[in-house]
Amino acid sequence: MTGHVSIKLASERVNHCVAANNELPRFYTPGEVISGMQDFMRGHGTYTEDDCLKSSVAGVMQKVNKLICIRPLKSRYVGEIGDVVVGRVLEVQQRRWKIETNSRLDSVLQLSSVNLPGGELRRRSAEDEQMMRKHLQEGDLISAEVQSVFSDGSLSLHTRSLKYGKLVQGTLVKVFPSLIKRRKNHFHNLPCGISVIIGNNGYIWISPQQQDILLEDNKDEIQNYELQPVSRTDRETMARVKNCIAALVASKMMLDDTSIMFAFEESLKYDNVKDLLDPEAMLDIAFLAQHRINTVMED
Amino acid sequence: MWTTKTFLTKTKRGNILKIVREHYLRDDLLCGSAACNICPHKDDEYILDSKPHSICALFDYEHYLILDTNVVLHQIDVLEEDALTNVIILQTVLEEVKHQNTAIYQRLLEIIGKKTRKFYSFVNEHHKDTYIERNPGEKQNDRNDRAIRKAAAWYASHLSINNLDGQYPQIVLLTDDENNRKIAQEEGIVCCSVKDYIENVNGFVGLVDKLSKNVIPESCSKDALYPAHLTPTQIHTGIRNGKLYQGTFHASRENFLEGTSVVSGFEKPILLQGHIGINRAVDGDIVAIEILPKEEWRKPSDIVLEDKADDPGDLLEEDTELLTSVKPIDTSDDEITPTGKVVGIIRRKWRQYCGILKPSKFPGATRHLFTPAERKIPHVRIETRQSDVLASQRILVALDSWPRNSRYPLGHFVRSLGPIGDKNAENEVILLEHDIPHARFSEAVLACLPPDDWTIPEEEIKKRVDLRGLCICSVDPPGCTDIDDALHARALRRAGPRAYEVGVHIADVTHFVRPNTALDKEAALRSTTVYLVDKRIDMVPDLLSSNLCSLRGGEERLAFSCVWEIDENANVISTKFHKSVIKSRSAMTYEEAQLIIDDRSRQDEIASSLRVLNALAKKLKRKRLDNGALLLASPEIRFQVDSETHEPMEVQAKKILDTNSMVEEFMLLANVSVAERLARDFPQCALLRRHPAPPPAYFHTFLKAASQQGFELDVSTNKSFSKSLDAAVIPERPFFNTLLRIMATRCMQQAVYFSSGTRTQEEFYHYGLACPIYTHFTSPIRRYADVIVHRLLAASIGADVTHATLLDTKHADALCDNLNYRHRQAQYAGRASVALNTHILFKNRVEIESAVVLAVKRNALQVLIPKYGLEGPLYLPSDKFTYNEEEHFQICDDVILKTFDELTVRLSLDSTNLQHRKLVFQLVKPHIPGFSYEPEKEGEKMDVETVVAEKSNPEDNKGKSTQKKKRKDNAEIKSKKKIKK
Amino acid sequence: MPGPDLLSSQGLRLDGRRPNELRRIRCKLGVFTQPDGSAYLEQGNTKVLAAVYGPHQASKSKTSTDGVVVNCQYSMATFSTGERKNRPRGDRKSQEMSLHLRQSLTAAIKTELYPRSQIDVYVEVLQADGGAYCASVNAATLALVDAGIPLKAYACACTASIAWRGSEPEPLVDVGHVEEAAGGVCLTVSSLPSTRSVALLELSHKLHMDYFDVVLSRAMQGCRDIEVILDRAVREHLAEGWTKQDVVTI
Repeated sequence: MTGHVSIKLASERVNHCVAANNELPRFYTPGEVISGMQDFMRGHGTYTEDDCLKSSVAGVMQKVNKLICIRPLKSRYVGEIGDVVVGRVLEVQQRRWKIETNSRLDSVLQLSSVNLPGGELRRRSAEDEQMMRKHLQEGDLISAEVQSVFSDGSLSLHTRSLKYGKLVQGTLVKVFPSLIKRRKNHFHNLPCGISVIIGNNGYIWISPQQQDILLEDNKDEIQNYELQPVSRTDRETMARVKNCIAALVASKMMLDDTSIMFAFEESLKYDNVKDLLDPEAMLDIAFLAQHRINTVMED
Repeated sequence: MWTTKTFLTKTKRGNILKIVREHYLRDDLLCGSAACNICPHKDDEYILDSKPHSICALFDYEHYLILDTNVVLHQIDVLEEDALTNVIILQTVLEEVKHQNTAIYQRLLEIIGKKTRKFYSFVNEHHKDTYIERNPGEKQNDRNDRAIRKAAAWYASHLSINNLDGQYPQIVLLTDDENNRKIAQEEGIVCCSVKDYIENVNGFVGLVDKLSKNVIPESCSKDALYPAHLTPTQIHTGIRNGKLYQGTFHASRENFLEGTSVVSGFEKPILLQGHIGINRAVDGDIVAIEILPKEEWRKPSDIVLEDKADDPGDLLEEDTELLTSVKPIDTSDDEITPTGKVVGIIRRKWRQYCGILKPSKFPGATRHLFTPAERKIPHVRIETRQSDVLASQRILVALDSWPRNSRYPLGHFVRSLGPIGDKNAENEVILLEHDIPHARFSEAVLACLPPDDWTIPEEEIKKRVDLRGLCICSVDPPGCTDIDDALHARALRRAGPRAYEVGVHIADVTHFVRPNTALDKEAALRSTTVYLVDKRIDMVPDLLSSNLCSLRGGEERLAFSCVWEIDENANVISTKFHKSVIKSRSAMTYEEAQLIIDDRSRQDEIASSLRVLNALAKKLKRKRLDNGALLLASPEIRFQVDSETHEPMEVQAKKILDTNSMVEEFMLLANVSVAERLARDFPQCALLRRHPAPPPAYFHTFLKAASQQGFELDVSTNKSFSKSLDAAVIPERPFFNTLLRIMATRCMQQAVYFSSGTRTQEEFYHYGLACPIYTHFTSPIRRYADVIVHRLLAASIGADVTHATLLDTKHADALCDNLNYRHRQAQYAGRASVALNTHILFKNRVEIESAVVLAVKRNALQVLIPKYGLEGPLYLPSDKFTYNEEEHFQICDDVILKTFDELTVRLSLDSTNLQHRKLVFQLVKPHIPGFSYEPEKEGEKMDVETVVAEKSNPEDNKGKSTQKKKRKDNAEIKSKKKIKK
Repeated sequence: MPGPDLLSSQGLRLDGRRPNELRRIRCKLGVFTQPDGSAYLEQGNTKVLAAVYGPHQASKSKTSTDGVVVNCQYSMATFSTGERKNRPRGDRKSQEMSLHLRQSLTAAIKTELYPRSQIDVYVEVLQADGGAYCASVNAATLALVDAGIPLKAYACACTASIAWRGSEPEPLVDVGHVEEAAGGVCLTVSSLPSTRSVALLELSHKLHMDYFDVVLSRAMQGCRDIEVILDRAVREHLAEGWTKQDVVTI
């Protein structure tokens, strides 16, 4: 397979920095003393040594009353109850699935936290345990919500809502979790006919919009749906969305439906989806999107 | 603070390898000029004057000099003169010099180090404005020349900045490279050749003499006398494909047209003969040799040939004398040596040579021939305008080049050492020729010394074992001021078998000579005290060597003690080492000690102590000899020196007494004990001394000569050798055995210092002493090896701390090399001094003495005068004598002369050649008409001759010699049986 | 004095640095998008890439309940030295280096925060010109910072050797390949400069105690200098990455 390959010298690389607010916050770096006093509470990204509160990561300080945290530029996903996540099934275990959610420990999806065919309040039987792999098997992608956080920091998920569950027919984009903007809603149907699930853990699911609301007991139709081909226009649009997200990420812009949508709209001037992979184009899109965001915010 | 730029150097090495090196360019380098007002100099960083005074008529304005590499390489002697100042040495130059000649590099560094000389080394290679990159295709040399020009141009413009009034020094570039000069002129850089510059210097007489006459040797093909040398590339390929061999050229002392070189692949050294064969190689040079075909292989000529030429001009005389002496070759002859010729010089090892000017036939001429003192070195052509002054002086000359069309190498005058015949000048020559550091101790060294009135502090005594109560005494030769050893012995009062406590106490030099001080470094450099006949060149300053470290009688001294418990049969029961304080009861000479031992009436502590020591020493010696230790001999003599003129008056052989041997035995024991301890505690870095067994081939001639006398010696092991030597006695010739031992000594290899990490345990063996391990511990005042051993031992017993260099095997190895080298040079210098004094002794004297033949050569006998320990050739004319190659003897009618024969010879000094004044030996007896010296001509000496000649057993003649003004105890020679250590 | 001539009479080293000067250090954080953290670092001609994955669930066999498991892999590119050489992963030297790397990084990471987790650090030496280990530690530190992994302090490593100015020992900081090959002693120190603690010490040859202190302090000074450089790089990286977010989150 031959294709157009562009390799650039390091010195000629595009600086993805999109000029914006030039007021820099105070940065703290590992080992730096934040405060000598003891009347602060030690939060994430800090530690105490020699009666000093020191930073353990590189980032900015966030102060909530007496609690001081240092938030790093990026890190693994730290889940909070109610977060929407996209994850991948790693393992099928006794009465639970292990899900990889980009957090520092694997998350757990209990058998009791999923909706099984045949009613929400059905007791989980021994057969169900044996049928677990039928429901979700290794490698499957799911969307879920964080149900609770265990003491060691690992997450317990649930999919007990129709919007959660197994994901098929789409594209997964992984970005740094810190770029995901926390919103009330993380499920978006974009006007371009594409739906995205912006997982708080940095996993973004792009798929064609579902035309009908599937009935949960209509199992055959699910099967069919999985097998149904996606139209070329849909696939191209998905690719465009994906590339737009990549452009925003390269410029370290926060992701939500608005920014993705703005970027998408700006990208339309590039006819060919693959043109969006060009660093200059990416910067262009990000820059225009940023500009629109600024305008919106000023309003 | 610093700017950085990376650059790439691509080098090809074997398979292509790309080497990328960083090269930082800086902006904080100073120009060193006081006229500069840009560089942020500190006050002490101004090296160059702001208004340098010009001494050259060509450039009558203020200027700094910048030198080209070749100028430094060739004209270092000019630079060393105090004439040129305000010179800028570029790093480019410094590095090229370092690469090409380390000796000159060191000298250059020394000049730079002298503040008064105002030499500034400018780091142009790392300066952001003067660094240049090599252009593609540009040769390294051209690039460097360009770099030099660039720096010169930079200096010129740099100094002009902010000096708007024009009052700033100019730059003059000195270079002998015409091409470089041309380009420089085009670039507007003032430049000049060294010759032009120096010849126009005012006020420094003699500076011109030091100009090196450097000619590119291979370029003078016109009237070439010598074949051209191969280029380095040709040599390299030749060596790689096995056609050529690399070796160090050793000129023969006896024959100036002959030399040898040891190369790998040949057991015997390669013989190099004749002007063409040697092809301008000078002793010590590393040369490329081509081996001649087997048919042309020769024997080493046995003749003694001197270059008597009276400057014959640039001609080579025929090598007839040499070549005719070679008979048709019988290839089976085992003396046939691989023969070759020098085809190229890989590296010159020229140094400066002492010598004298050969008187010139034309008065006022500037070209002269110089005769080096070292006979291995050819005559040198030099130019001087001070010949009338220098004619009577010993001078130092450096070699510059040896063009193909010159019979002799070209050189230039370096400095004068003093008038010929002057004692100091002559000693200076000896010291210089043997590379012995003999300058006065520097201020830095003297600053390391304790005050003159130093006494042992109380706390030091507390740290040490107090042995002041013991009856310790020292025994040394008369007149010895550096007493480094003392002894004691006492019976141990305890139950069980009789036992003694014996202690050897060695001056604790390391207490004063601390590691890494200037004093320590100087001592390490000197390595040994050098004893000339009338002079001693101390290793450590006098205050230490003759006072604070010298274990003088009745004074409290610091010592390093080795104390044994020894049983009656001289077996060591236990050994311990400790630092101590002692107070010697008495410092005796060998003779005094001998008298005390012999004087039965003396029963005091000293006497009984000495007797115990003496008795034990004899047992120790017996044991040692039973183990196979060799008793070797070398003729040693003492001069009696006139106290006023310091001229030698008389010679006597050193006497050997029981007490000599007594001291020696205990010193050996101490050394062995220490060696064992060190080898155990420092397996990697103990300083030891080994003596390898000589290879059997070395004994070849010696055994042949001995068998002619009817003795078959067994040299298979040192034990058997020792035994057969003991047995080889001719009762009526008491000197014969000593002679045999003298000759055996010459078959031996040198004992050497080494670091235990560099050899295997088996190689530690000391052949001469027949002991598995040995070191030097007992003379730290005069040997640096002992200082190191003291430090190691002190560290071993926890009395002192170690320091870094002490424990470094590599460093220890380098140290050993220097020790061995200095040790050897000191020995040679000592011998040279003896020879010098013998010459002085014979200045106005002619003697007839008995002699023995040491070796038979083709045209001479090598004879030894036992009385003086003097050796020399007795030339035999080939028309009278026939040489028997098989059996090594010379025959004339019915007289056969062979090795070990006793002769009578007449000794006189031939002063016709001032440089090589030599003793002339003439045969007196056996009488050969027409050759032997005819005593009638010098009647007054008649009686001397007859008496000597008649002596068959000289013992009987004692007292008979009546009215003679000289004592005739020549037969009593007891050459000091010196254990070759 | 032992050892080759590493210092010219003008007090400059073979490459033109002064004894207390580091080589030029250039570095960049976040050079890859795939790993959680990554960095590229040049120390003179020594060039190193580091990538960090994690912390993530530790594999079963490695799980430790006390803290995070740091897993390092050091490797050298075939083209990293003058002579092209196939370097199988996990040869003895790389294994040793990996262990040393782990020792240094474990000292810096606040391991107790993440029980049952694992951090993978991959270091690839692109060009080795002396001090590859130091460059690896420094690059790995940057990659860890980039990954947002909590550290007690920067882990910095630096080498030092010794040269002689006359007879005075003059320690050299940040030894280059030429100096290393010249046979002098080389002390590698890995430390957390701001806490003045040492994570790893390695000495290539014998060095006498008398000189150890000066060499060590020179190496520590080198670590402190490197820390300043790394800190500057981190701040620059933060400034670059943070602007956008700030605007959006206001």
